[in-house]
Amino acid sequence: MAKVFAFIWRDFITESSYKLSFLLQIFNLFTSLLLFFFLSKLLEGLDIISLKPYGGDYFSFVVIGGAFFAFFEVALQTLSKSIRDGQMLGTLEALLVTQTEIPLILIASSIYSFIWATIKSVIYLLLGVLLFDLDLSNANFIGVAVMLLLTITAFSGFGILAASFVMVLKKGDPINFILSNLSKLLGGFYYPISVLPDWLQVISYLLPVTYVLEGMRLAFLQGYTISQLLPNIMVLSIFSLIMLPISIWIFSKAVQRAKQDGTLTQY
Amino acid sequence: MYSIEIQNLSKNFPQLKTYSDIVLHPFTKQETMALRNINLKIKQGELFGLLGTNGAGKTTLLKILCTLVLPSSGCALVQGLDVKQQAKHVKRLIGYVISDERSFYWRLTGKQNLLFFASLNNILADKVDYLLDSVGLTQFDANKLFKDYSTGMRKKLAIARGLLTDPEILIMDEPANGLDPLAAMRLQSLIREFLVEQQHKTVIMATHDLHQVEAICDRIAILDKGEVKASGKVGDLNLMEILSNG
Repeated sequence: MAKVFAFIWRDFITESSYKLSFLLQIFNLFTSLLLFFFLSKLLEGLDIISLKPYGGDYFSFVVIGGAFFAFFEVALQTLSKSIRDGQMLGTLEALLVTQTEIPLILIASSIYSFIWATIKSVIYLLLGVLLFDLDLSNANFIGVAVMLLLTITAFSGFGILAASFVMVLKKGDPINFILSNLSKLLGGFYYPISVLPDWLQVISYLLPVTYVLEGMRLAFLQGYTISQLLPNIMVLSIFSLIMLPISIWIFSKAVQRAKQDGTLTQY
Repeated sequence: MYSIEIQNLSKNFPQLKTYSDIVLHPFTKQETMALRNINLKIKQGELFGLLGTNGAGKTTLLKILCTLVLPSSGCALVQGLDVKQQAKHVKRLIGYVISDERSFYWRLTGKQNLLFFASLNNILADKVDYLLDSVGLTQFDANKLFKDYSTGMRKKLAIARGLLTDPEILIMDEPANGLDPLAAMRLQSLIREFLVEQQHKTVIMATHDLHQVEAICDRIAILDKGEVKASGKVGDLNLMEILSNG
């Protein structure tokens, strides 16, 4: 556990030393809320059937989507970014000669980003409640917490897989490219997947982000309990159980390959 | 038993293919030879120098000993342990002094950097102050951001990091690179007097500086284009002749 804290502490000191970046990130949350607020004005008064399962309000729908889609981006990008940074900054070799196992280095390098993403999501939702009348009065926070935990584990598997590509290819990781674009398009961030044609909905249900966003919306806006969220919980658990060990195994192979090719710190 | 034994060690790196090679020869593997048939034995408590020009294979050899690069053939034993098969155990025996200043976190202080790497090596924080003091970094220096360190201070911090686990073997890659003559001399005496004579460490040091090896090393090996041209005691070798013939 001390090793994990060491990574969190390292990243906190590093990130907090860039003061303007911190302020800009908070400002960015506000502008994103403002954008969704005006967009939802366009749809005000309309009876949109596809939004009914989530309470019918587009602003609430898209804000929850925005708050938790960020976790997907963090998982997919932070792990590969930490490898890329290590290659470019030269810290990767220094880490790999320590008494710390590679999977721990990888996972611990991403924890601060998840903590920061959680803080930003809380700030984002608080700003939504305080400034834009976002209604979270029905929220079931236990359901939200369970979904959040599964969000991180399910997405991390894909993040580690993306990091494996960066370890070998250095740049141009196809996992990040494909999943990021597919999830944004078909995962139900901006619109419910029920508006998609049937054949595209099939693809949506293969993406973990679909279950995360749906589960989060149902827990936040409709107060779904753990038992009501069980289908989403089951699917995300399966994603986690399959993807995490496979991706860690692939990452170890990628490190072996980089050691064989002598490209650990090349970029 | 020797601290380090290297037997018939070779390393080839795959060459990056051009677009035309990918199309015309998709299955042909092109390789560059970095090390060829290296044989070396380094005794316990010895200060061993690897001398060679840029691209001679010094860093590749050191990285193989540190388990960061896998050999293509042959073997390297650290205290009798194979670097390829027993990498985890080998890492406990060695300290790698990476002279590359990019291997530290620039937004952290020197002490914070050392505390971070201490945690990853399961070392208690108390040891950090002792090590900083041992390499000649004051408390004032230790609390400065790494980005504000001079080259000499960075080298000292790299040595302190290499000593965190109190390793029996210290592997140093160009430790005095980029230092002014006075700072280089101070670093040399730190290596010779503190690490070898006081701490009884086995030190392997890669350098391209002839004067440095003459000044502090017990024995040396001269690497040229991936091969050992000569090895032995500094006084027994006519370094100038070997290098000019290389």
